[in-house]
Amino acid sequence: MDSNIIIKLNNVNFYYGNNRALTDISMTFRKNKVTALIGPSGCGKSTLLRLLNRMNDLIDGTRVEGEILFEEKNIYDPEIDPVEIRKKVGMVFQKPNPFPKTIYNNIAYGPKLASNNTGDINTLVEQSLKQAVLWDEVKDILNQSAMKLSGGQQQRLCIARALAMKPDILLMDEPTSALDPISTAKIEELIEELKKNYTIIIVTHNMQQAARISDETAFFYLGNLVEYNKTEKIFTNPDVKHTEDYITGRFG
Amino acid sequence: MTRHIKEIIIKYVFFSFALVSIVVLGMIVFSLFREGVPIFKVVSLKDFLFGTEWYPTFDPPLFGIFTLIVGSLIVTIFATLLAVPLGVMTAIYISEIAPRAIKEILKSIIEMLAGLPSVVLGFFGMVVVAPWLQNTFDLPTGLNIVNASMILALMAVPTISSISEDALYAVPHEFKEASYALGATRFETIAKVIVPAALSGITTAVMLGMARAIGETMVVLMVAGGAAAIPESIFDSVRPMPASIAAEMGETPYRSAHYHALFATGMVLFFLTLAFNLIADYVSHKFKQTGSATP
Repeated sequence: MDSNIIIKLNNVNFYYGNNRALTDISMTFRKNKVTALIGPSGCGKSTLLRLLNRMNDLIDGTRVEGEILFEEKNIYDPEIDPVEIRKKVGMVFQKPNPFPKTIYNNIAYGPKLASNNTGDINTLVEQSLKQAVLWDEVKDILNQSAMKLSGGQQQRLCIARALAMKPDILLMDEPTSALDPISTAKIEELIEELKKNYTIIIVTHNMQQAARISDETAFFYLGNLVEYNKTEKIFTNPDVKHTEDYITGRFG
Repeated sequence: MTRHIKEIIIKYVFFSFALVSIVVLGMIVFSLFREGVPIFKVVSLKDFLFGTEWYPTFDPPLFGIFTLIVGSLIVTIFATLLAVPLGVMTAIYISEIAPRAIKEILKSIIEMLAGLPSVVLGFFGMVVVAPWLQNTFDLPTGLNIVNASMILALMAVPTISSISEDALYAVPHEFKEASYALGATRFETIAKVIVPAALSGITTAVMLGMARAIGETMVVLMVAGGAAAIPESIFDSVRPMPASIAAEMGETPYRSAHYHALFATGMVLFFLTLAFNLIADYVSHKFKQTGSATP
């Protein structure tokens, strides 16, 4: 496998019961890049994202065919523990979802569970919050409930919480759709910054956002991967008419 | 008739129906106090609450209900100790772990348990549990604290489990996803995220379960043994307040001192259940908005 490639999907099909949500997807994600997954609602982009850290395991009656290679191993191999995958592949959700615990404990939650982490939790908390550009806003209120933060701060807290696990990949499922434009701008800046150290895969409904922050873009429609290329190419001169129609707002 | 007037009429119809239950409750409380308070002309509040001699038919009669209060509290506490782990674990199993089919079966069984008449449970305690206790531990009687606590626990489990279950269901799905996404196992998620987030609801459940146990009459009348004495071991008999009221009320002359004493015992019971309900209410409101932000 090419050393720039971090995840490789080979002929992946995914079913909810008898419904096929993803059809024969083969694609690769490159290391330290931001890849945007776009497409109309129900096209399977979030499903694909959730396949990459085995979050779909939590839904009854789902089934995966094909293989998803991460670090040369198929993450759907029966011998692989999904818990181990989720420690390496972090996730940020659509709605900010901090735990109803203190800010400090939100960050410390993951590292404290991971038994191999023996380092200094205080340092880790500070480091993670700094990475998520939240430290200056919360350093004096670490023992307050995270529920008291604003939506944008909560989402950055969730990013910090994911970063505290020192993941290789960060999955983001429409991370700014519940936020105001100012908070959105902050998160986008943050993503720019984070891609130096992390591979980021982001699902977004916001075309401008995909164009602004991603290096590569994949367009999905009805469970199929329609087009996947450099973001610049997708947004200026897509190969497929369908893609152009979608990004110019002619449908979807 | 204009629509506006109709709206007003409808509003007051509903209001008056809601008022009925409040008025009835008020009247019950009023009559409880009217019949109970006169006892304090015969005995002081302190002697009534803390006197350890309950001989209402002696001459002169002695009205000290301390032994009855102790009896009530002790069976309630032991019942709670048994019912809380049972009820909470059951709720966790039903809401978080059980496959759908087992979940449905278990839920209907627990609802059936809640629907069992207390006299049936009392019978079970008398006929099955009491002889077993008596033989196993070689006791003079199987009608004692242990027996009553076990049966009361059985009655409190459905209350505790169904209210805890609601509290666990109410924990947003997003919290669980967040926990799993950070590499937590199912049991870590249950122990560190779901249960703490549902803790106020679970505490409410426990309080209401205790209120249920302390007010329960038939079971303690049938299986607690009825001895108005401070127990020295968990195998001693006790006489909880509701049992005392139920057993003696039929034989007291109307508005005698004994009659008033029993009503006053009812007042004590009323205040105890009220306290449990107030605590439950306070706990459920206090943590409602912020979740349990434990440091």
